[in-house]
Order: sequence, then structure tokens, then C-alpha cells
Amino acid sequence: MEITETSEGGKAVAILDGRLDTATAAAAEAKLLAMLGQGAVIADLSAVRYVSSAGLRVLLKAAKQAKAAGHGFAVAGLQPAVREVFEISGFDKIIPAYDTRADAAAG
Amino acid sequence: MDQPRMTLRLPPGTEEVARLLDEVEAFAEEAEIPTALAMRLALVAEELAANVVMHGTGAGYFAFTATVTEAGVAILFEDDGPAFDPLAAPEAATGAGVDSREVGGLGLHLLRKMTRGAAWERAGGVNRLTCLLPRDH
Repeated sequence: MEITETSEGGKAVAILDGRLDTATAAAAEAKLLAMLGQGAVIADLSAVRYVSSAGLRVLLKAAKQAKAAGHGFAVAGLQPAVREVFEISGFDKIIPAYDTRADAAAG
Repeated sequence: MDQPRMTLRLPPGTEEVARLLDEVEAFAEEAEIPTALAMRLALVAEELAANVVMHGTGAGYFAFTATVTEAGVAILFEDDGPAFDPLAAPEAATGAGVDSREVGGLGLHLLRKMTRGAAWERAGGVNRLTCLLPRDH
């Protein structure tokens, strides 16, 4: 899992690349929560082929911290298999998901 | 025709879970398992293995076997940790909002939603879970 920071329309973007799983969850969580300390974050998951429950926990913690801090947190570019996991878990109802990070920045 | 099969026995540890996922991905590619099914296979493998790593105090190993069949992928998972029936664990509240949504229980929720005919038994000091990942989900 590699995480690259960039920005889109003035919003911070974390581009995640690889598997978001038991082995990579801790590093991803540290990075996302640190970025959320500065403001709103969009997590671009278009290069993430796999999200397990350990990965979902990271995204849920990010969403909780964002809400507590009054920032936005959204995900963008979910691959179909990842979208299925989101839906089965009910995450589509609690974390805004956009097709692209440009959409997320505008939304 | 031979049914493609993989089996892997590892000591419990976070790095071994990653190793299992690597092997499952390689197997899925070799056996030409469709992407969505391959992802569900990896998910179930990870949930079961991670469960042993996190809760299976004293476990010496976990063993994952996947067999591709016409109906989908048949899974057998064994470990020698304490007796634990993942099918009896409480459900995650997937309808809850972001504030009340609990961080735990998700893995087993995914396991139960994605598989069919799951059965657990404890015999000879070993937890043994069998289930089917159907092709048409």
C-alpha cells in the first residue's frame, strides 16, 4: 500500500494504491488521521483493488474523526468489487462516495 | 477435469495474513476466478485468518483450503486456537449512522453475507469451518 498526498480543487487528497487490509491498515490509518488533523480529506481509492474489514475500520475511524472535527471526508473511484464490500457493510450510507476525486472536490 | 485447489498452513501473525492474501490472489489468477469472486475469496480468507491472529490466543497454526467447483469456491478453514464459532458472533449494525456505528464485527458480517451453507465444528482441539462462496452472488 502506497499513499500519495495531492490536492484537488483546494481539498487534500490521499491517493491509496494497493490492498487496504490487515497488514496495511495501521499505516493507512495514521496517514489519513494525520491529514484529517489539517482539514477535509478525499481518499482516492481508484488504485485500491481490495478492501477488507480491517480497511473498512480505517475508513470508519476517518469518517468519525472528520465528523467530530467538522471536516468533510469522502472516498472516490471505488472499483466494482470494493463498492460491493461498501454496500454489504452499509458504508455507502455513511461515507460519501464519488466517481472521481474531481467530483468529490466539487461535491 | 481436475478442480483447481490451493491449501496453505501458516503460523498466526499479521505477516502471514498478508502472505495468505498474496497466495490467494495468485491462485485466483491462475484458476481464472472472476474478479468479484476473487475479491470475496480474499476477504473471507483474510477475515478468518485475522480472527485467529487477533483472538486465537495460543493457536499454533491456521490452514486455508479453497477448491474451485461449478457452484463457486468451497472453503475449508482450520485452526487450533480456542473454541470459537464465528457463525454465532453478534451481527454488526450495518444500518447505524456514522456516530453510533461500531468499529468491530464487520469481518464476520461480510463472511456471513458472502458465503452459503457455512458450518462450524470443534473436534480434536481444532476449529473447522466450511462454507461455499457462490459464483452468482
